[in-house]
Amino acid sequence: MWAKLKGQALQRREDDAFIDEISEHITLLTQHYRAQGMSAEDATHAARRQFGNVTQLKERQRWQRGMLSPAEWGRDVRFGMRMLAKKPGLHAAMVIALALGIGANTTVFSIVDAVLLRPLPYAHPERLMEVRSQDSTALQDGAVSYPDFFDWRAQNHSFTQLVSYRDDSLTLTGVERAAHLDGEIVSWNLVPLLGVNPELGLGFRPEDEKLGARVVLISHALWVSQFGSDPRVVGRTMQLSGEAYTIEGVMPASFRFPADAPQNTFWTTLAVDNDGTPGATTANRGDHEFAAMGRLKPGISEAQANAEMKAIAAGLSRKYPASNTQNNSAHVQSELKSMLGDTRTLLLVILGAVGLVLLIACGNVGNLLLVRARERAREMAMRTALGANRARLVRQLLVESLFVSVLGGLAGCTLAFVSTPAVLRLINDSVPRAADAGVNLPVLSFALAVSLASGLIFGLVPAITSARGDLLSPLKESGRSETDVRNRLGSLVIVVQVALGIVLTAGAGLLATSYSHLAHSDEGFKPDHLLTFMFETPDSRYMNNRSDFYRQYFEKLRALPGVEAAGGSLILPMTDNSMHISFENPEHPLPPGQLEDARFDLVSTNYFRTMKIPLLSGRDFSDADTVKAPPVMIVSRGFAMKFLHTENVIGKRLKPEAGNDGPVMREIVGVVGDVRHGATARDLDPGYYLPATQLPRACFMHSVVRTRVEPLSLEPAVKNLVASMDRNIPVTDVRTMQDRIGLELAQPRFAMVLLSAFSGLALVLTLVGLYGVMAYSVARRRREIGVRLALGAPRAMVFRMVLQQAALLVIIGVGIGITATLASGSILQSYLYGTGPRNPLVLAGVCVLVATTGLLAAYLPARRAMQVDPTVALRYE
Amino acid sequence: MGEGKSEVMQGTLDLMVLKTLYAMGSQHGFGIARRIEQVSDGVLDLNEGTVYTALLRLQQQGWIVSKWGISENNRRARFYSITKQGAKQLDREAENWQRVAGVMERMLKLERQG
Repeated sequence: MWAKLKGQALQRREDDAFIDEISEHITLLTQHYRAQGMSAEDATHAARRQFGNVTQLKERQRWQRGMLSPAEWGRDVRFGMRMLAKKPGLHAAMVIALALGIGANTTVFSIVDAVLLRPLPYAHPERLMEVRSQDSTALQDGAVSYPDFFDWRAQNHSFTQLVSYRDDSLTLTGVERAAHLDGEIVSWNLVPLLGVNPELGLGFRPEDEKLGARVVLISHALWVSQFGSDPRVVGRTMQLSGEAYTIEGVMPASFRFPADAPQNTFWTTLAVDNDGTPGATTANRGDHEFAAMGRLKPGISEAQANAEMKAIAAGLSRKYPASNTQNNSAHVQSELKSMLGDTRTLLLVILGAVGLVLLIACGNVGNLLLVRARERAREMAMRTALGANRARLVRQLLVESLFVSVLGGLAGCTLAFVSTPAVLRLINDSVPRAADAGVNLPVLSFALAVSLASGLIFGLVPAITSARGDLLSPLKESGRSETDVRNRLGSLVIVVQVALGIVLTAGAGLLATSYSHLAHSDEGFKPDHLLTFMFETPDSRYMNNRSDFYRQYFEKLRALPGVEAAGGSLILPMTDNSMHISFENPEHPLPPGQLEDARFDLVSTNYFRTMKIPLLSGRDFSDADTVKAPPVMIVSRGFAMKFLHTENVIGKRLKPEAGNDGPVMREIVGVVGDVRHGATARDLDPGYYLPATQLPRACFMHSVVRTRVEPLSLEPAVKNLVASMDRNIPVTDVRTMQDRIGLELAQPRFAMVLLSAFSGLALVLTLVGLYGVMAYSVARRRREIGVRLALGAPRAMVFRMVLQQAALLVIIGVGIGITATLASGSILQSYLYGTGPRNPLVLAGVCVLVATTGLLAAYLPARRAMQVDPTVALRYE
Repeated sequence: MGEGKSEVMQGTLDLMVLKTLYAMGSQHGFGIARRIEQVSDGVLDLNEGTVYTALLRLQQQGWIVSKWGISENNRRARFYSITKQGAKQLDREAENWQRVAGVMERMLKLERQG
């Protein structure tokens, strides 16, 4: 509106100036004639005559000036709208194609923005590095132990701060309803590391790491919910798992640590991991289970820090071979990169895929515009002949295509508003930080930029080629020999679209094959009708009577109606957790530090029966396996084969490095089947099990119940049961096993669903594009086809001719697409399960699908060609 | 540049305006028209309004520039002067025109043969 007014004002000023100029001219001319002796009246008439038609001149002047004025742009837009309205179907097709392309891109970008582009919410986050322990031979990153971490922190010159951290969960008691809290155990210097200050109180002090210190920083949310936003909360104590912690500060509402753990509500120091004994976690160099994050000193690069940490780790490995042989190096990596890991590549693959979809959509719109431009060649030639200049025509056409792209962009953004939440539901929490994604200002700017860029891409070429057209042939309308640039351009677009369609469809096909493999793979147990949940029995009250508690608990649990079997385990499959513990084999002694290790679990009696993990030989644990009975263990079949090289292992003895009073030699009493521990694990995991009854100080954490009824229907009953035994024990994480597997598969499922959606979109767009081009080609060749038919060509031949034309394009496209797929297959490699990236079956299927789609698109135009009536076709032209 | 036949006369006027500004320096539209009338010695029947169309066209090409000044009548008037680009264009056009004119002259001198 404003621009229009401004344009009009400018127009008026220019007009006024021009009128001034010419009236002065006429005055001077009149005076000139008077000086030659004419009468006043004659002189005025002569001057008018000599000057010519003022009104006409004014109009002409305005018209010519207008080529540069903004008002004229408005006219182009209005004209463009009229042109769009004239062919609503064609333009709706363009807008829909673009809306789909831009909508999909905006949705994916909103996630990429939240996950990859947004900096971590700390001061100068680019200086934050994750430091991991590394095995230099296997090049495998791992966790660090506390003693190693203390040495790292003391010896390094690369970091201003180096902080250890690990996840933990504690039970908040002393409140109305006991609550299960997630939090983090960190070294004292967390606040200086992150540069985010508490909103109340201060951070930890160095002495807070000392034995017996129990201090805590709490989240803003916990402060509000449990302490009623008490401004004097600092210095108060709270009961966590039976111990009193002094609150030292409240973190701001936006604070998160780690950045992908929004659920954390407390942070406490590693004093928690020190029980004062010589075997305490803080003193155990072999207990590699902690992460470390550092802030680079000014002037130190990632590479320098990496080199220094590697040297320090190598030194420690030489000094402590017993614990650090496999931790002889270190790896420093930017925090964000380390947090995202493979997800980064996955998102980039998806972003690339959705970019291809947009390219296909642009190709379609470009092709439709080419068709349109050919139809309008007459109009353009006419306008050129009437004196419009070429820049003007290009501009007119560009305005029209930008108009289409902006409409498509708006529709696409609307689509993104709807689809982003849907995709986020699909992602669940399988992608760190994705939950923050939303269609916001940066995302909308991205959508706008993409719309304008695509408007230029698909608009410029048709605009230039059609404005270049010569004047005569379109006017004579006999340009039938025109198998010109535009036709070839249209075919090229189709070939590229088909090729891109193949690449996308192949990617989707591979991911779908892989997903189906994952979803149908054998877990080693029966996941249906299993209810799982967790609670902890705090040491402060259960250190000495845990066995009694669990015995009663399981008796009551098994007695609940609808329960078929129940058991407990320290680490349940599908919980994104595992523990590997080494063991000695007296038949093959190895020096300490080079002991073999395997996945470890601590289970109750009936655990295998509940999970339906098959007992292959020997016996299950029983209530008779008490502390006083001979120490026993059960191994999986894979364990027996891998470490003992035989299935007949009953009676053999091993010494696992686990036990309440140090490692003891244990007899293998049973062999069970292997279990897949994570839904995306490539192999069944060999492991071994110890009976919880022989390690009575250990806590179960997870309960698993096989039900005869819908598993979740038992949720209230189990919660009541636990509360009736101890009302300060909250039950959390109640899920069916199927649900857990679903969560673990969320990432591959989301990748598969998105890529399938995109390739489906690509196929539809290609289909429409090819149909458009073939239909137009047939329409243009009506006369030629008419002549052929009139001269006696069989109709079937005409039909074949059209199909051949389409088939040629499709075959070239398929060829290029397959080549590109083969060449780029390794990108997907690490996301594929049960299929290679060049699975011939998938590729063949994709080719058939795309080729069929292509021929389908050509079928209708070919039929129309066959039905051309020669007399009509010839007369019509 | 597709130039139709109708543009020949237009081109001629543009050339005349350019040459006038080149020879006489800064001028307003009236002055240019007078100069052309004077040189053509009354042979050319110039519709003086078209001078302004030519002036606008030349401005848009960047061959001349204009600024406001005061006319002999002490009134506001736009004065035009030629730019460096305009001078170059004038050279090109003049050369071209002379070539065409030479051809025309020789053509018209041809005697009837046979």
